[in-house]
Amino acid sequence: MRRYHLYVFVGILSLALVAAGVMMAFAQPNFAKVKEYRIERSVPPEAQACIACHQTTTPGVFADWAKSRHANANITCLDCHLIQPGDQDIAQDHEKYYGRSDLPWGEGKYKMPIASIVTPKDCSRCHPDEATQYSKSKHANTIEIMWKLDPWLNNGMNSDNERKTGCFNCHGTVVKIDDNGKIDPATWPNAGVGRINLDGSKGSCTSCHTRHRFSVAEARKPEACDQCHLGPDHPQIEIYEESKHGTIYHAYKEEYNFDAAGGTWTPGVDYRAPTCAACHMSGSGKEPTSHDVTQRLSWETQAPLTVRPQDFKPFPSGSNWQAERQKMKNVCSACHGNAWIEDFYDGFDKAVEEYNEVYFKPAKAKLGELYEKGLLDNTKFFDERLEVEYYELWHHEGRRARMGVMMMAPDYAWWHGFYECKLRFANYMEEANHLIDTNQKAYVAKDFPNATGNPAKPKEVFPDN
Amino acid sequence: MKKFLVAAALVGFGVIVAFPLFSLGYYTMVRTSTPQFCASCHEIKPAVVAWRSSTHTNNAAGVVVDCMDCHLPAPQDTFKFFFAKSYHGLKDVAVHFLGGEYDREKAREAAYAAFDNNECQKCHRNVLYMPTQRGAMLAHRTVVYARPGYEKKCIDCHYDLVHSDRGIVMFRQTRNIPYQAKGLRQL
Repeated sequence: MRRYHLYVFVGILSLALVAAGVMMAFAQPNFAKVKEYRIERSVPPEAQACIACHQTTTPGVFADWAKSRHANANITCLDCHLIQPGDQDIAQDHEKYYGRSDLPWGEGKYKMPIASIVTPKDCSRCHPDEATQYSKSKHANTIEIMWKLDPWLNNGMNSDNERKTGCFNCHGTVVKIDDNGKIDPATWPNAGVGRINLDGSKGSCTSCHTRHRFSVAEARKPEACDQCHLGPDHPQIEIYEESKHGTIYHAYKEEYNFDAAGGTWTPGVDYRAPTCAACHMSGSGKEPTSHDVTQRLSWETQAPLTVRPQDFKPFPSGSNWQAERQKMKNVCSACHGNAWIEDFYDGFDKAVEEYNEVYFKPAKAKLGELYEKGLLDNTKFFDERLEVEYYELWHHEGRRARMGVMMMAPDYAWWHGFYECKLRFANYMEEANHLIDTNQKAYVAKDFPNATGNPAKPKEVFPDN
Repeated sequence: MKKFLVAAALVGFGVIVAFPLFSLGYYTMVRTSTPQFCASCHEIKPAVVAWRSSTHTNNAAGVVVDCMDCHLPAPQDTFKFFFAKSYHGLKDVAVHFLGGEYDREKAREAAYAAFDNNECQKCHRNVLYMPTQRGAMLAHRTVVYARPGYEKKCIDCHYDLVHSDRGIVMFRQTRNIPYQAKGLRQL
């Protein structure tokens, strides 16, 4: 009998627990809370429609925007995405939503012509100086630079999809409209720094100030740069991580104030050691902020032969390297004394000199000799082993060595840099001299894979070609 | 007595000769300051037609902005105004008769180059406080208080505003799509 009571008791208890659980589930559904948005400020009804609809259709975009400075300033979707009727990049599929009577905002009266792609030219409506500075940078003009230098593209040595998913992801696509009036999927989505837009403007502000937050703080962090500036050919982020600047950043970044107002971000006050932006772009002391990353550079450490930025043939900076170096020194001097700065540059200049004279020039001369003697075939690049070796000498370890020295990462300067240069150079010379001594032609790869890319330079960037 | 006669003669001369001359000059200025007069040259006609369909002519306030209001220095700068007006008038007549192809795009570029913000700001004076257009407020500050090296013209962003061939007459008050600057023309 007592056991019977126990069963009844447990049964009732279980039922009560289940009922309570069900009630709680109804009271608090397991949904993410949707960020609220009340129209409390003057927002045109068309923009209210955008916000209300996208609040449910693309909640991520909405929530991101709602946390942005743009939302703070009452800058809405329309301020950036509105275009004029007749513009070629009108989002046609978007227009059909205004005819959907099942949607609360699906009414013709809210219809506005919208473009998916927002360009630096659109941003320049409110941020003209920043857009102007950016337009002069190597970032904005990287497609032109790439096509003037790169054998992968000019010799068609990789496939169009290898380019879209690799090269163009960072460098940018030439955005095109297809025959149906839609954005050509081979060119979009893309937030490359040098994207050629339909309005003729170059680049994408959202490369560093990602949509839809458009944060200044984000672009001040090294994480904004590291999507592209990494890897065997230009490991800037790895170099930074190894440098004292990077180690201090990681140790103290919780103390950093990344949200300082434009023109007030101060070394020693808002941050203890610089980030990428702090040295290359941000204002510091008497140096004003610039969105032109080419500024403050005194050597082109990415080029095959290290030259001054004004002598970089694919895209001469138009600057004067002494003046630019002085700008960088002014930035350094927020934290470092003169002797420190001068001695650092002394080491950098010596490394550049050694790379140019001891490694690059002899290697280039040897390559020329091989071509001249007909031992290497110069119709295509990369299909002979020595061409790859030569390429990696300057494009991989040669850059690692120079950049490693410049940004003070000893492991990149030596083990990943000059040490690798030495091995590469010795092997390259051994093979080259062997071919010359035996008058033997190099093996040409007959089965070089996937060399199907279009070798034609884009007309939008090279109208005369 | 003799002195008085000389003075009287001079005043008389002034009244009889100089005053009509002055009136004639003034009348000429007025006559040659209308869009109708500008349109009497076939080269300029398309520009006047486009202007007539623009919001600088058609708006609820009834304000009509004439050619001269934008294309000549502000009249309070009297000397510059008369000089520019006479120079352009004579040059246009000379070029018209001496021939030479009229290239509208080239003329557009020349006009952009000649514009001065003062011409726009004669009317558009309150451009810094626009609570419903915060972006414009930000942008206008970079023009009104330009940093050295970043001086720019109103028409760098506000272009294709008046002289674009629309096919329809625009009215500011019935504009469906809000007006928005186009962003820097140079980009």
